[in-house]
Amino acid sequence: MIRRILFVLLVLYIVVPLLMPVIFSFSVFWQDILPQGFTLDWYRAILSRPANYRALLVSLTVASGAVLLNVLITVPAAYVLNRAGPGWGQRLREGATILPLLFPPLIVGTALLQAFARPPLALTGTLWMVIIAHAILGFPFILRIVLATFQTIDERTLSEAAASLGATFWQRMRYVLIPNVMPGILSGALLVFAISMGEFEVTSMVAGFTAQTLPLRLFQQIRNDMRIASAITAFLIYVSFLSFLLMTYLGARARRLRA
Amino acid sequence: MPDGKPTMAASRQIRGPVRSFARFISLEFLLLIPFLVFLGLFEVYPILNMAFRSLFDLEGNFTLQNYINAFTKPQFQIAIRNSLLFATAASLVGGIGGTFVAAVAVRLPARWRNLLLSLYALPMTLSGLVVAFAFIVLLGRNGVLNLLVRRAFGLPPTVYFNLYDWPGIVMVYAFFQIPLMTLSMAAVFENLDPNLVEAARNLGARPWQVWRHVVIPVLLPGFLAGMSIQFAGMMGAFGTVLALVGMAKNLLSLQIYSHSSESTYNLPQAGALAVVLIAITAAGLALLGWSARRLARRGT
Repeated sequence: MIRRILFVLLVLYIVVPLLMPVIFSFSVFWQDILPQGFTLDWYRAILSRPANYRALLVSLTVASGAVLLNVLITVPAAYVLNRAGPGWGQRLREGATILPLLFPPLIVGTALLQAFARPPLALTGTLWMVIIAHAILGFPFILRIVLATFQTIDERTLSEAAASLGATFWQRMRYVLIPNVMPGILSGALLVFAISMGEFEVTSMVAGFTAQTLPLRLFQQIRNDMRIASAITAFLIYVSFLSFLLMTYLGARARRLRA
Repeated sequence: MPDGKPTMAASRQIRGPVRSFARFISLEFLLLIPFLVFLGLFEVYPILNMAFRSLFDLEGNFTLQNYINAFTKPQFQIAIRNSLLFATAASLVGGIGGTFVAAVAVRLPARWRNLLLSLYALPMTLSGLVVAFAFIVLLGRNGVLNLLVRRAFGLPPTVYFNLYDWPGIVMVYAFFQIPLMTLSMAAVFENLDPNLVEAARNLGARPWQVWRHVVIPVLLPGFLAGMSIQFAGMMGAFGTVLALVGMAKNLLSLQIYSHSSESTYNLPQAGALAVVLIAITAAGLALLGWSARRLARRGT
């Protein structure tokens, strides 16, 4: 009984705060304890106001770019790091986990801002800078998931078995490894996407005016118009929620397939 | 490229990091290069560059003034002190809260536990602004909970839970920190062998003795590792505070932010403060790592 009560309380601890912006975003008016009326106007404002709509497109572009960059760069690295021996391989794996702790988003933001402010790489304020910054923030997450997947499928044994049957490097990749690691790559990609969609700290430092993302709009709207802010907030919660729903589904399916 | 079974078997007999490294200078190693170049160019180089430039003033003359400022200007001294206190408080709240949630989670039936842990993974991706907004609606001056409590007890509108002071800010960050700790501690609790506890009990240990000599030594390394993540994260945190109170609170992270992107723009000063922040974080991580190693050696 106590267990059941605790479970409900712990669920409410996460759900109740996150429901607030969602309820707010559908209400005409919320000044008292209970909200009043139902409307979709605040969501319409995201699509109909050019500045908001542009921010939505920028956010989607940046998140997709950061995911693509991480899949192309981090996934091959995870493959090598998983195979690397206990010596320098272990050191690199540890380095990759300590790096994001020592250099939080704030530091990455300030540093990027200064390093790429002038030619030949005048990236500060461009969309590229935001994509790169988000890829840097996202890599520890996708690396950890893909590395763990390589370990669970026991990539070495699998590769050796395939090689002993005469499969070349590319055949092993194409028919053995990539299909087996796909759930991990997809989960990591979703995580990077969700983090990028909500990222505010670094973006606000490196973005300037050309690369206004949705969270940057949200920061302005919290001071100006709580109702539009509520719709943006709710939208960002949906993005996170959907990503996790998909990741849970992928994880459950991978477990079922292995069993 | 070393390929096929014979080569693998042969290479396994060769030991030593140099040999293993040599074996990797192959096609497989090439796959690591884009990653290393990317990290080097966009993470390591910018940070080294920032540290280097913090040694110069705005006119480009060599100076240590930025570092002297960091430790002598009252504004920065207060920021460093506040950041240390805030990061410690928020880490403790997150660490204790998360350990509690994980302890509850592992005692739940598998279905409930998985649901709970999935739910607690959610805040990891949420924007600091989203959480700030949620808590403003819930607990702001006229937030739903404040209104409810005031109505229920007939209190005047001057009575409210103040979200915009340190306890409120720590509470909002707990929404990130508790779930984060829950995830790391859930894995630690699952590794706690129930047979060990059972054996201790059968040998006549009292409940507190089981905790003192069996449970805590097993949990502590994981707990300290979790605390490292908590502390490091909180030293750099500023998004939610900025959304809640703007620059009204003085934190080292907020000082760095305002010196690199707001009206007080002074990049070398921001760089020096950033180096100080990295040094504090590194010292905190080293201390936690050292305690974990010491405890592991002592074996209790």
